[in-house]
Amino acid sequence: MPSKFSYQPCREFNVVVLGAGGVGKSCLTAQFVYNEWIESYDPTIEDSYRTQKSVDGRQVVLEILDTAGTEQFVAMRDLYMKTGHGFLLVFSICSKASFEELETLRDDIIRIKDDENIPIVIVGNKADLEEQRAVDRAKAFSVSRGWGAPYYEASARTRTNVDEAFIDLCRQMLRRDDTHDDLHDDPSSQRAEDATKRHRRRKRKDRCTIL
Amino acid sequence: MLNQQDMRASLQVAPLTIQKTRTGTRGGPSERTESTSRCSDTQMTPPATPNRLQEDRNASLKNAPVFYNFLRAIYPFQLDHGASDASVTLPLDEGDVILVHSIHTNGWADGTLLANSARGWLPTNYCEPYEPEEMRSLLKALLNFWDLMRSPSINDSEMFGNQEFMKGIIAGVRYLLERTQCLAKDALPLQRHEGLRRSRRALLAELSSLVRTAKRLQNAQRMIGTDVNDIVDEMILKAFEITTKGVRFLDVWEDDRRSRVAPAVTVMNTLLEETYVLLTPPADSAVFDAIQAHPVDVGARANANGNASDRSPSAAGEVAPDLIRHSNRLSSGRQQSTNVRRLSQNSLVQANRFSSSISHRLSLAGPSCSSQPCNLVSERLNTCHDTFLSHLGSFIGRLQLQSQSRPSLAVAIRQSATSGGELLLVVDVVCAHTSISLDALEQARDTMYNRIQDLVHTARDILTNPEPEMEEDVIVPHDNGRLLWAATGCVKATGECVAKTRWVIERIGDFEFEFENGGLGIDFGLSGFAIPDDKTEAPAAELTSIAEYPMSEAPTDSTAVSVTSSADTHARSLSIDKPLPEIPRANSPVSGRPALRASHRSPHSQPCPIDNSASSVVSSVSSLRPDLPPLPKISTSSLPAENYSPTDQSAMQDTDFRAFRSESMTASSSGSASTYLSRDSESSLMSQTSTRATTPEMTQAPKNQPSLSNLSTTDSLAPTDDDEVESKLLAKTYAHELMFNSEGQVIGGSLPALVERLTTHESTPDAVFVSTFYLTFRLFCTPVTLTEALIDRFEYVGEAAHIAAPVRLRTYNVFKGWLESHWRDETDREALALIKEFAEFKLTAVLPTAGSRLLDLANKVSSIDGTLVPRLVSSMGKTGTSTFVPAETSLPAPAISRSQANALANWKLGGSSPSILDFDPLEIARQLTIKQMALFCAVTPEELLGSKWTKLGGVGAPNVKAMSTFTTGLTNLVVDTILQFEEVKKRATAIKYWIKVANQCSQLHNYDALMAITCALSNTSIQRLKMTWDFVPVKRKEMLKSLQEAVDIRQNFKTLRSKLQNQVTPCLPFLGMYLTDLTFVDVGNPATKTSDTGLTVVNFDKHTRTARIIGELQRFQIPYRLAELPDLQAWLTAQIDRVREKENAGSNAQATHYRKSLLLEPRETQQLRTPIEGPSSAASSSMFSWIRSNTGVSAQV
Repeated sequence: MPSKFSYQPCREFNVVVLGAGGVGKSCLTAQFVYNEWIESYDPTIEDSYRTQKSVDGRQVVLEILDTAGTEQFVAMRDLYMKTGHGFLLVFSICSKASFEELETLRDDIIRIKDDENIPIVIVGNKADLEEQRAVDRAKAFSVSRGWGAPYYEASARTRTNVDEAFIDLCRQMLRRDDTHDDLHDDPSSQRAEDATKRHRRRKRKDRCTIL
Repeated sequence: MLNQQDMRASLQVAPLTIQKTRTGTRGGPSERTESTSRCSDTQMTPPATPNRLQEDRNASLKNAPVFYNFLRAIYPFQLDHGASDASVTLPLDEGDVILVHSIHTNGWADGTLLANSARGWLPTNYCEPYEPEEMRSLLKALLNFWDLMRSPSINDSEMFGNQEFMKGIIAGVRYLLERTQCLAKDALPLQRHEGLRRSRRALLAELSSLVRTAKRLQNAQRMIGTDVNDIVDEMILKAFEITTKGVRFLDVWEDDRRSRVAPAVTVMNTLLEETYVLLTPPADSAVFDAIQAHPVDVGARANANGNASDRSPSAAGEVAPDLIRHSNRLSSGRQQSTNVRRLSQNSLVQANRFSSSISHRLSLAGPSCSSQPCNLVSERLNTCHDTFLSHLGSFIGRLQLQSQSRPSLAVAIRQSATSGGELLLVVDVVCAHTSISLDALEQARDTMYNRIQDLVHTARDILTNPEPEMEEDVIVPHDNGRLLWAATGCVKATGECVAKTRWVIERIGDFEFEFENGGLGIDFGLSGFAIPDDKTEAPAAELTSIAEYPMSEAPTDSTAVSVTSSADTHARSLSIDKPLPEIPRANSPVSGRPALRASHRSPHSQPCPIDNSASSVVSSVSSLRPDLPPLPKISTSSLPAENYSPTDQSAMQDTDFRAFRSESMTASSSGSASTYLSRDSESSLMSQTSTRATTPEMTQAPKNQPSLSNLSTTDSLAPTDDDEVESKLLAKTYAHELMFNSEGQVIGGSLPALVERLTTHESTPDAVFVSTFYLTFRLFCTPVTLTEALIDRFEYVGEAAHIAAPVRLRTYNVFKGWLESHWRDETDREALALIKEFAEFKLTAVLPTAGSRLLDLANKVSSIDGTLVPRLVSSMGKTGTSTFVPAETSLPAPAISRSQANALANWKLGGSSPSILDFDPLEIARQLTIKQMALFCAVTPEELLGSKWTKLGGVGAPNVKAMSTFTTGLTNLVVDTILQFEEVKKRATAIKYWIKVANQCSQLHNYDALMAITCALSNTSIQRLKMTWDFVPVKRKEMLKSLQEAVDIRQNFKTLRSKLQNQVTPCLPFLGMYLTDLTFVDVGNPATKTSDTGLTVVNFDKHTRTARIIGELQRFQIPYRLAELPDLQAWLTAQIDRVREKENAGSNAQATHYRKSLLLEPRETQQLRTPIEGPSSAASSSMFSWIRSNTGVSAQV
């Protein structure tokens, strides 16, 4: 019980889910944020895509930005990418084209974030449809190694590896957050703001222990 | 007052099993008491016997807590000191069925006896769960009925205006009869068995009596001064009575069935069976009738039971003869007082109606609960939650109004934190109380805890670090924002946590717990911040230790207990077999002899129930208050609105809501343009459209009555008129295959049930339901299956002559509406042959005019392109909140000069193209808006269903695609215009220009263009042009910032949503937002639901949500009243096309732009990133990564 009461600052991250239309990325998102306590899912409210998770004992608030439905608004992708702290690149193991598209997406992300090491996780969705597989696992893994981004084969339908993929991304973001905390060279105002917020929090925490 | 004192004390006092013995040894006042106490001595106290038998179940109950809504007594139960604590225990007879509200951990349940609607505590070990398959539907219906009747949140007149709420009970009775093959009056089992026939008749008589009462209620609604609550009480009683009769009927039936099968039953079963039989006719039919005549005449009933148990020992053998004798003696002896008690409790039903229960299982303001702090954990949870929210709410409210002084902030925070701590304590109690896995609850609890601490921290931060330049004791607005955020975070986390806690309580059953006041709360105090591990550990430990006394671990020698100290009493009574939960009227919890007091007080006990009921009225009234603010809404709706509208938010929402309602009503009045104004277009679907059909048969239908309910016009019906009752009540129906939410909306149902709903004979179907059905039916059935279902409905309703006419007319109307306004030839054609056949033969045979009309329509529909009658679904918003601009109003004059017009004319003739910067931003914004609105208005509802626009490159949704293409083109045009200039200053001018256009778009409420332009301006290729931005005035940058905020994608378009919510038309929302919403409604909700009876039904809730989003979108499909400038339009389109073509060659517009941007303002070397980023080779590869992307796959579609 006492462990419950240890206070930890909540970290907030924006996770952007990207991928071609029809790869089922919205299913992944819905699965991940879906609250089993709620009988019906209403995506029109403010925290429809917000969720809090515990990652290695640390509380993380995630806001999932999913372009689902607006893939045709190509120009908006830039906006989504700019907002993200971590990226889930989703393809369908049944569609080679959706896999090849990831490279463009990654290039865009790196260009927009101006950062080679931005946290990315690659997800091969529809893993339950093994018989329709069009993308070799080996190939996916080799791309994963090349990019230094973990690869998960997931299935939103059977809820396999959904949480794992997101949690992995959280770990990356947390690790990065810890090492980058003192650096203020990030051009993104959001991150800078976050950093100062964190600083303030940390100071506060120090004071708390003194009290 | 004294009484209240007593009650509070009694709540904290240990229940008193043991005192029975004491009463005996103290020389109880009567012989009877003596004997019973001796009896209990030798018998290990009454609960002991069943306890042994029930041990297995208790164990399993503990492992997997399942909450049974209904229990059935398998032993009689009567307390010897029953009269002394009138409001508490509930005497049981074998076979009694009880509606359970909550179960205390010690095994006592708070329940209502269906036989007489008395409420009180009863020992669960005397009962078994009751849910036979045959009764399931009726029991479920009773639960719903009970919840509905007692729910204060439902508008009475809305609910009682039609007779929908009666359907469940009727369907339940029907289901029972159907399952037992006794539906028809001349069914075989009925012919065989006289008793069965009788109990069936009794059941139906009771049902028709309820129907009549319901009708009376409907009338009472219209008359002022009638006390609706009296009628509602009566109805609840009647519903109970129906269920009781149903149970009895099933018993007789079971018995009959069993007597045919070889009697291979255990001794135990024999006992049960025997006693059941004895309770029912033929032998006791006289008594039976008496009960019927006086539903609350318990005396007679007790007698009946007496007879039953008198005979049972001989038949039942030696299982528990003493027990039965014991009860026998009691029931005859105590009749009088029992009677009084039960009668007095009936008034509680009425009182309870006002209570604001979330679920009947949770927060009943029952007899044991008063306005004082209550021990029932769910009550406690609600109270704490309410307190906490009211503190936070007022805090948030003040924050938004003005800056506040530091002391008041401190006070408010302190209050909030204290009440939050109390709430957390309750949650911890619940956590400690159950063994089932509670990860989610604990997580929510942690979140809540952290959020509260966030709030406290934030507040403290602000209090201890005053901004130097500010006045000393005023919190600056900036800090307000932080506080607001923290506080709303609290509200949200709390809501979630409480919801989960409730869920858990519901699973494990409600229980009592003694909360000590003060001191124990989790302390968030501003001064002592040290995490209160030590403080909370104490109560937590206590909790677990108490929770560790499970009921089944009773020491076997419990009979010998003789109380010496109160502490001892307390401990044992928790652990010993089923401590009696009565509330002794002791003044203090440390009373050593509560039993004595109880018996002393017995003369005064009669007024008690009255007091109880009075105080529970008080408590329920007071508990109404917290129900009023829609709790979770606090964070979502009031917050954003404050920023933008100074007017009263709730009022705005209200009007908006109403407007939306009226629009959707309008929309559903399918077919006739003349009905678009009718707000009460309830009847329009039926009457107006059908008048156009001019069917002569219409005169048969009672069309002057808005509710065609034949069920409800049974006033003339004599209760003895069995035949008529039967034919009316037992018409074939699928009503039990429908699922409703707490607001009474359909959330699921099988296709036949949905069709039945669509063609209901009572009242017109709900407008939202009808429009949703028409819009979405192709998602859950095919046109052919729908046609078949409708034809089936048309046919089976023929069995029920009294409703056949209106239902058949409605069926025709559904077909008509479909063909006229919702026909989609490409998919629906396959059903056409079937419809024609139906029209020609079946329909014409009954309604000749309608038949020929339908045939006519069916012939026309495939030959005409588009719908026959303009579809009103797509014009939902057109009569609604739109500010109606009379056509005569002159359009605003175009802001275009003669020379600009000339330049355009020149361009048209092949001359050089003018620069966009030459035009007035206002006019550009207007022309863009006209263009986009034309595209937006063309979007049809069908395009938006089933994520059609994402499939096959969007061929199924041409207008959605056109819309997104235009928006994307606009973005690219903006980027292109800026990047086309070599000189920094010109680029800056272009940026300034587009900011102005964006601003004009914002003024026009064109959020689609606003999104496109701000997207372009925050594009990486533009953002990185530092030198250029240096030339953009601060004023413009500020303007851009606020424009960007309006269409911020974060927090699920929170800002934009709140703007749109109160937006009057004309307005062009951002289409992409609706597309995302629709996608997630589609993938986030399963296609089917499982109904209570285990049936897989259509998840209609999903479709209602879809239709609601589409309706919201349609609200904005109203053109702007702006003058179109064809030349400028053509020129703009050409510009967008030119940019698009340029990109088509280079495939990735973003990359092309970026390359151009790099050429204009090359990367500065010092811009190269952090040392962590690795060797410069990596950086340079990233710099040229766009080259690769050019060769990559084409942009996603």
